[in-house]
Amino acid sequence: MVRLKSRYLLCEVCVSDRSHLLLLDDGTVQNAAKHALIQAHGDYGFAHSIFGFSVKYLNAHTGIVLLRCRKSHYRLIWSALPFITGLKKRGQKVPCFFNCLHVGGTIRTCQKFLVRYNTQQLHRMLPLCHSEEERSAIRKSVLSCTVQKDADADSEEDIGEED
Amino acid sequence: MDRGAKVFGALGQRLYSNRMRRAAKKEEPATYERLVYKNTSVYHYMSISLEFENEETLSPAQLKQFIVNGLKDIYGEVGGAFPFDLLKFDELKLTAILRVYNSGLVKLWSALTLLSSFDQERCAVRVNQERCAVRVNQVSPFLLALSGNSRELELH
Repeated sequence: MVRLKSRYLLCEVCVSDRSHLLLLDDGTVQNAAKHALIQAHGDYGFAHSIFGFSVKYLNAHTGIVLLRCRKSHYRLIWSALPFITGLKKRGQKVPCFFNCLHVGGTIRTCQKFLVRYNTQQLHRMLPLCHSEEERSAIRKSVLSCTVQKDADADSEEDIGEED
Repeated sequence: MDRGAKVFGALGQRLYSNRMRRAAKKEEPATYERLVYKNTSVYHYMSISLEFENEETLSPAQLKQFIVNGLKDIYGEVGGAFPFDLLKFDELKLTAILRVYNSGLVKLWSALTLLSSFDQERCAVRVNQERCAVRVNQVSPFLLALSGNSRELELH
């Protein structure tokens, strides 16, 4: 048997106002990506890469998006991502850009990367705390979820983005 | 007399004598020189002609813009961004000669084939779409090869 291989693009949606992130949904992201793809690679590139393209995971709180595409033409989508300048939702346009964090072969490796990335971010941001209270609040929230042994990526990444 | 000549009559006889003459010539050393280019050319040249539904006039700049738009439609801003030149444009016959790098030949050729309409702004508001076609007559790595096209010979 031959496995149909895919690539997973782990992206971060960057917006100026974080409250806009809650407007995100699968359809909006997919539409924006499709438009960017047509703009950058035309009908030819669009038709090449649109099969097997889907939004696998989306976290509206942290703005993390996982896109899935075929391995053969993932470069087309990858190179079209910088052409996304905004997301359109109900006539409202939210200016944003996509930051590709990781390109992986499986969802599992992407998840592992995300956990590592968020711990790095946490270490980077902790020294920036203004007061001791903030620091202790973050420490408490981290400890509160590491008590559970099988703390999964979702809960950890929520903490990673809070600061 | 050959048996073939007997069967086919006069024509066969002529063929037969031609063959005999060629056989006699073969003994002389060849006088022509054969040139082989080991390195392929960097460019490809194409001779194209345009066909419009109605009578149209085009300037060379408009033609280039027309082709660039067609490229952008099919290959997008990234894929369609490669250099090509319009070497010569005959505005009366609507024929042109293009020069393109080998790497862009397939893209340019397919974009030309898929071009089907020509936007013409007759007045500021309305955009007329004129149906048209681009025919690729000849493609060659040598510009000289485009000069003699036996299909365009006019015999008197």
